[in-house]
Amino acid sequence: MNSGIDLQGTFINSLQDLGLPPGISKLLWMPLPMILMVIGATVGLLVLVWLERKISAAAQQRVGPEYAGPQGSLQAAVDGLKLIFKEDIIPAKADSALFTIGPILVILPVFISYLVVPFGQNLIISDVGLGIFLWIALSSVQPIGLLMSGYASNNKYSLLGGLRAAAQSISYEIPLALAVLAVVMMSNSMSTIDIVQQQSGYGILGWNIWRQPVGFVIFWIAALAECERLPFDLPEAEEELVAGYQTEYSGMKFALFYIASYVNLLLSAIMVTVLYLGGWESPIPLDRLAGWLGQPETNPILQVITASAGILMTLFKTYLLVFLAILMRWTLPRVRIDQLLDLGWKFLLPVALVNLLVTAALKISLPFAFGG
Amino acid sequence: MNLAEGVQLVSFIILTVMMLGAALAVVLTPNIVYSAFLLGAVFSAMAGLYLLLNASFVAAAQILVYVGAINVLILFAIMLVNKREDFAPVKYAWTRKIVTAGVCGGLFLLLGTTIITTPWGINNTAAAGDEAIYILGEHFFTDFLLPFELVSVLLLMALIGAIVLARRDIIPDLIDVATGEDLKLPERPRELIPAGSVDADEVT
Amino acid sequence: MMKFLKQVGDYAKETVQAAKYIGQGLSVTFDHMQRRSVSVQYPYEKLIPSERYRGRIHYEFDKCIACEVCVRVCPINLPVVDWEFNKAMKKKVLKNYSIDFGVCIFCGNCVEYCPTNCLSMTEEYELSAYDRHNLNYDNVALGRLPYKLTNDPMVTPLREFAYLPKGVMDPHDLPKGAQRPGRRPEEIAEELKAETKAKEATTSKPKD
Repeated sequence: MNSGIDLQGTFINSLQDLGLPPGISKLLWMPLPMILMVIGATVGLLVLVWLERKISAAAQQRVGPEYAGPQGSLQAAVDGLKLIFKEDIIPAKADSALFTIGPILVILPVFISYLVVPFGQNLIISDVGLGIFLWIALSSVQPIGLLMSGYASNNKYSLLGGLRAAAQSISYEIPLALAVLAVVMMSNSMSTIDIVQQQSGYGILGWNIWRQPVGFVIFWIAALAECERLPFDLPEAEEELVAGYQTEYSGMKFALFYIASYVNLLLSAIMVTVLYLGGWESPIPLDRLAGWLGQPETNPILQVITASAGILMTLFKTYLLVFLAILMRWTLPRVRIDQLLDLGWKFLLPVALVNLLVTAALKISLPFAFGG
Repeated sequence: MNLAEGVQLVSFIILTVMMLGAALAVVLTPNIVYSAFLLGAVFSAMAGLYLLLNASFVAAAQILVYVGAINVLILFAIMLVNKREDFAPVKYAWTRKIVTAGVCGGLFLLLGTTIITTPWGINNTAAAGDEAIYILGEHFFTDFLLPFELVSVLLLMALIGAIVLARRDIIPDLIDVATGEDLKLPERPRELIPAGSVDADEVT
Repeated sequence: MMKFLKQVGDYAKETVQAAKYIGQGLSVTFDHMQRRSVSVQYPYEKLIPSERYRGRIHYEFDKCIACEVCVRVCPINLPVVDWEFNKAMKKKVLKNYSIDFGVCIFCGNCVEYCPTNCLSMTEEYELSAYDRHNLNYDNVALGRLPYKLTNDPMVTPLREFAYLPKGVMDPHDLPKGAQRPGRRPEEIAEELKAETKAKEATTSKPKD
């Protein structure tokens, strides 16, 4: 079963060959994937912001950012630089401690969740058995940060925005978790690696989206709501709440919210990819292709090719979903807060429950197709 | 002591200090919002301790349920009913603090001696780790089936009760009949719309 | 039981319909992504405003009866009608009329409700001024007619999107005689006339 490139083993082995004890060489390995993932997430964020601006511009027949770098591709970096140099203001009547901790609490869970993002069989920071459950648990911490910053700003718009964000997060977490549960039931494991493994082998036909179309739609809607993307961006609804909980923030603290929201969107898109679109699997099963060509699984060149193809496939699917999210942003009008809660509690929740039941029934009756 | 054990010890000390400090602060801070946020810190530290005990599922559930749901609900309640009120100073108010401290100290001593004197049957088998989910599920559907079902029925009752309380379908009409026009509640019972003929505008 | 099932069915149907509409909307947005932006070199080229463009309001002093309907229907009671009651004539004598276009939102309510049609919308949209008080137009300024764009020798008039031939996005360098899709109002009127004539001919024939 263990196919694919094993960077960790190779790295530790080579260090041990140099004469280092195994404990030290493992310690030297440990920060590497984390740093790589943080850098990857940040670069992904820059690409995402650029894409958002360019696609938005295209949808409105504008040109979009043009001058910073080729095709304006450095615009996001320039924006970030501007935010770094901006004055960091804490309003006089604000609660300065909570005001500072709030954005940190918002951004931390998002980055920690990248712990379970897989790009290949062994290309993951840590294959925790909890996997997807860890992501759900961590994303439930975010509303505390939002409430905290909303409260600490000492501004009615901030407070209302924070309350709305928390209400939205809580109510959409349930259909999200139920949709995930159906997938977990089919793969008998919560580990992201196992979930992708269960979809592998048949190329595009094996992906969960064919077995869980309803779950896919529920998950996507709930994920958009969790990320506060349009049409669910009520906590920041400009016309009603100025900028919601971000109203009083400026400089890097505002940037933390901004980064958190975009990295969260990226993460959600990756999770949709992992859960429903076969993760790093290509539409044509690559390992079978290699088998037909008579290449053994241990061929190092083949391993490098499949690993990079896996990373590229994951990113391709992820950005395809991001594109859909951006297109939706310019297509759908914002829902009202009561419509939002109605949709969450009265539509998504029952449908997700029915989906779960149907999945359970299918798993018992058709074990070969739905993971016995 | 190797590296892993050292890391565990340090994390244990940090988590314990964080938990005890935050728990004390929850009780002692006069600002109720701070107490609520610190409660979240206590829960998180507890999740960290579970993690050290190799019970990762319980830790994640702790985060999800206690930090993500219960603590947020507490915060909600506090923020929606954030009524600042200056209480009139009461004479001999300090006696209350002393009495509270006495009661709490007594409880602490009682529990502490109980913990120390009880012969704990310490289990030397290794923790289940990631297998814990399967074991938990098995227990839920075999020997703990009745409590599990009872809890679910209780939750269902609470859910229905909350809906009944929140709907307010009948109460205003009853009051109307009894007292007349002047004492109406500002809320009116909502007209029940048949689910079939609802269009997007009418969904409220 | 049947009623409940019907409700569920209706709900499902509505959900499918909503999904269909969302898909339609997405396809429209997606289609817009292929279109490139077209620059109109503004002071030298100008778009011809559409038929029902709501620009600066034109006002005819002589037609006005000072009824103040325009003031009543205006969302912010903007028009100022300065009149005096002439006791000898037993009539209102209008002295002044003004609309501040710095505040007007060009909703066209006053035009719609004016009983004597003394108010009308023009196609003039170039209302910039150095001083915002200059935007307060009195009855003389309101009575001026806008200069026609197509008569301006300095300006190349360009057609708006809806008036371009089908499939064309760029109003520059159109072939001569290129028409917008559909028939022109004159053509429709002519056709209708021909139709009624034909009908008359067929109905009158059997009588003979």
